[in-house]
Amino acid sequence: MGDIERREFLKMAGASTGAVIASGLFHDRLHAGTLPPPGLGMFEDRFGVSKEMVQQVLSAALSKGGDFADLYLEYKKANRVEMQDDIIKESDEDITLGIGIRVLNGQQTGYGYTSDLSLEKMKQAALTAAAIAASDARSKVAGLRAVAPDKQVYQTKSSFADASLDDRIAMVKEAYAAAAAHDKRITKVVAMLSDELQYVTIANSEGLLVSDARPQARIFVFATAEEGDTRVTGVGNAGGRVGTAFYRTAGSRPKDIGTDAAKEAILLLSAVNPVPGDQPVVLGSKNSGVVVHEAVGHPFEADGVWRKTSIMWDKLGTEIASPLVTIYDDATIPNSRGSLNVDDEGTFTRKAVLVEKGKLVGYLHDRLSARLLGVESNGHGRRSSFRRMPIPRMNNTILARGDSEPEEIIKSVKKGFFAETYSGGMVQGTGKFTFSVNLGYLIEDGKLTAPVKNATLIGTNVQILKEIEMVGNDMDYFLGTCGKSGQGATVTAGTPTFKIREMTVGGRA
Amino acid sequence: MTASKSTMLELAEKFALYGKKKGATGVEVSIDEGSEFRAAVRDGELETLTEAGSKDLQLRIFVDDKMATASSSDFSDSTLTQLVDNAILRAKLGGKDPFAALPKAEKVTAKAGDLEIFDPAILELAPEKKISYAKQAEAIGLKQEGVTKSLGSSFVTVDRTRTLVNSEGFSGSYRGTIGYATAYFQAGEGDNLFQDGWSEGGTTLAKLPEPEVLATTAAGRVTRLVGARKVETQNVPVIFEPPVTASLLLGFLARCVDGQAVSQKQSFLVDKLGEKVASDRVIIIDDGLLPGCFGTAPFDSEGVPCRKTTVIDNGELRSYLLDTYYGRKLKMRSTGNADGTTNFYWAAGNSKPEDIVKSVDVGLLLTGTIGQGTDTTTGDISIGAFGLWIEDGKPVFPVAEITVSSNLADLLKGVEMVGNDLRFLDDTNGPTVKVAEMTIGGTAAKG
Repeated sequence: MGDIERREFLKMAGASTGAVIASGLFHDRLHAGTLPPPGLGMFEDRFGVSKEMVQQVLSAALSKGGDFADLYLEYKKANRVEMQDDIIKESDEDITLGIGIRVLNGQQTGYGYTSDLSLEKMKQAALTAAAIAASDARSKVAGLRAVAPDKQVYQTKSSFADASLDDRIAMVKEAYAAAAAHDKRITKVVAMLSDELQYVTIANSEGLLVSDARPQARIFVFATAEEGDTRVTGVGNAGGRVGTAFYRTAGSRPKDIGTDAAKEAILLLSAVNPVPGDQPVVLGSKNSGVVVHEAVGHPFEADGVWRKTSIMWDKLGTEIASPLVTIYDDATIPNSRGSLNVDDEGTFTRKAVLVEKGKLVGYLHDRLSARLLGVESNGHGRRSSFRRMPIPRMNNTILARGDSEPEEIIKSVKKGFFAETYSGGMVQGTGKFTFSVNLGYLIEDGKLTAPVKNATLIGTNVQILKEIEMVGNDMDYFLGTCGKSGQGATVTAGTPTFKIREMTVGGRA
Repeated sequence: MTASKSTMLELAEKFALYGKKKGATGVEVSIDEGSEFRAAVRDGELETLTEAGSKDLQLRIFVDDKMATASSSDFSDSTLTQLVDNAILRAKLGGKDPFAALPKAEKVTAKAGDLEIFDPAILELAPEKKISYAKQAEAIGLKQEGVTKSLGSSFVTVDRTRTLVNSEGFSGSYRGTIGYATAYFQAGEGDNLFQDGWSEGGTTLAKLPEPEVLATTAAGRVTRLVGARKVETQNVPVIFEPPVTASLLLGFLARCVDGQAVSQKQSFLVDKLGEKVASDRVIIIDDGLLPGCFGTAPFDSEGVPCRKTTVIDNGELRSYLLDTYYGRKLKMRSTGNADGTTNFYWAAGNSKPEDIVKSVDVGLLLTGTIGQGTDTTTGDISIGAFGLWIEDGKPVFPVAEITVSSNLADLLKGVEMVGNDLRFLDDTNGPTVKVAEMTIGGTAAKG
């Protein structure tokens, strides 16, 4: 979103990742291979937060007349190891602990949080949140019923929480070495491994009490190539809600990621500037999920629908895209970076279809949007930490496969542009977007020719949705961290190769 | 909600000592503690209200020339003790890095009081007043001709105390406040919608504009875009409005003069110190001691005193912006920029903004950008743009869905006019600036 937030010098982040030691803090609390048992799990065992306390905090939250309250307990340990200049240069460990308490009063939201899990401080935060309403208590807190998520789409067994620092260092070194050795024109490599394990417990005034344990890992490699005056950087990355075994699988081994980054850098050395102007554009499957996410996904987030600020708010049931287009979001894809067993409001996740053969059929909801629009939440309420209130977000957003062979799609373009990897993208509520293409190709007479750098794609989502002319039968996923209202969320977006009749390509002439 | 400074100093000192005792050769403990208040209104109603206290401890541990970092929002004794122990173990397993070191303690001469970074009036302002300010700004904006919808208005106040202790003898603490308000609006019809707005404030209440000023500025920025269309692909002179000078030119330049980018050869300004990199008209400064500005502080996150650094002087590159590590690596001294830029600005020139517009036959007045299309290694820029098309020295129609592209090296050398309209509204600020040429990407060029 084009949401503009000022830099604030209060350090509220905690979003950074950090490196674990084999003798980590809470190894005794890991529930190998299973979900945390129903209940407050580690928040009770380790931090002394009992069911009775939760009940009291929720009662305090509703004491001034709010009609719904929930709380979000978070404990997260994040680790990072980074190699550059041929040494392990940085290692970091970050611990996040806290509770966020929310009170809904009609369309209004009150929010308070604290890192101190004493009953007194939690109640104080609850009373702050309660102030959004200003009357006597009207709603009561139901008795808490501990439930488990109805599915498990990732495991904590063999997660990085069990890996030693030496294991991590070995992986980072393997990725670094592969990139550095790929070509003598590679002059600089940065390789990093980030991993985390997040425990959450969500309880609400309707009596829900549910916990989840969520692993996440990612290896990133940046490789810089130099030749003459030209200096370019290629990127490789792979990860998800995976354990260490993922990085022993061909295609996602650290050395594969390092080689990917180096290959891209070497290709960019010979890249030319794009031909600016309107032209047919083919979006390759490798990374073009980011286009679906930004340009197509954001307007379906239902906060923009009930506020009527999204370009899609009044288009439910209408044809908004070419009949070749089916789009859905599925948070239940096993081990995917964007997947969740339950969302950050405790709603069980499920697949949500947004566009079916060109027709808008649904939105991505959190509890508030679902309530205001008179539907049920489909489990898309997410938050970046206990310090922020949940908002509707994407998870794994996918443009469904079509029938065309990818080669056939390229062959159909006489003169145009092919986008392969991206360095960023942004969309406004108005539907206007831009993408920075890291590596693209010219299409000339139905063939990919020269590699292209410095290209920008610009347009509006309404236009590109209608102008999708061909959809391929392949599929690949972009891994990202989406920023909205200052909150980061781990996501993926999948696409086949697809073609847009005409799009504006910018860049130096 | 801010705890007494002494409690945090004691906590930081305790863990600095503990780290030394356990075998660290250097320890830095930094604690941020504070509170925030955010009220967001939309369509005349309070929509969200957030109020909370927050704390975070950051740790850097050195064992000889190896370093490890850690942070925590859990302040329990057992967690913090374990965090230090873990960091010492991790540092030992890291690579030897001769540049990793704490700065030698320098005397901080700036007095927090002279810097005007703390204003109790911001904190004493009643919540009802903050909410009614935001409601008022929204209501005024909605009355402006052409505004069709509010995207929300907000009022935010922040109170923070930073405490820093290191084993080289540095011990310091300061408290700062921020208060600002925002208003964003939508305009346009059908599927051709536009959004923009304004945000303004500072470290003291006096920096907050009247709600009318905030609202009309915000509304004016979006209504002037209504009916925007594309133009043909072509090369024309471009005028940067002050917010775009700040966000695009200065924001990008800041990343190119950053010690890390320079050291890693990810900047087109590598090895260019002392060289002419811009037109004579260009003076660019970073000043962490400007009273009452967003980026002002007595010392940076390593305890190095903030200062005024001239980055570009009459077109000549004079300094990079450095922390201790990249300073040592580049054989220079830290410039007190461990947190990046402080107050980064482009010094005002002599031209009136209206004269700058008058000087253009055919060109673009750039009012906003979308996207992140900048590459520090090459200096290349290619980014989505909004603006007003200029013909015969006058804005004639709004434009959108175009891209502007060039290279920052070329842009800086091609600066033809610099406005006299510099104002310190943010932590990065600039005047109106005219450059000789950029490539506009739009519809296919005729002929």
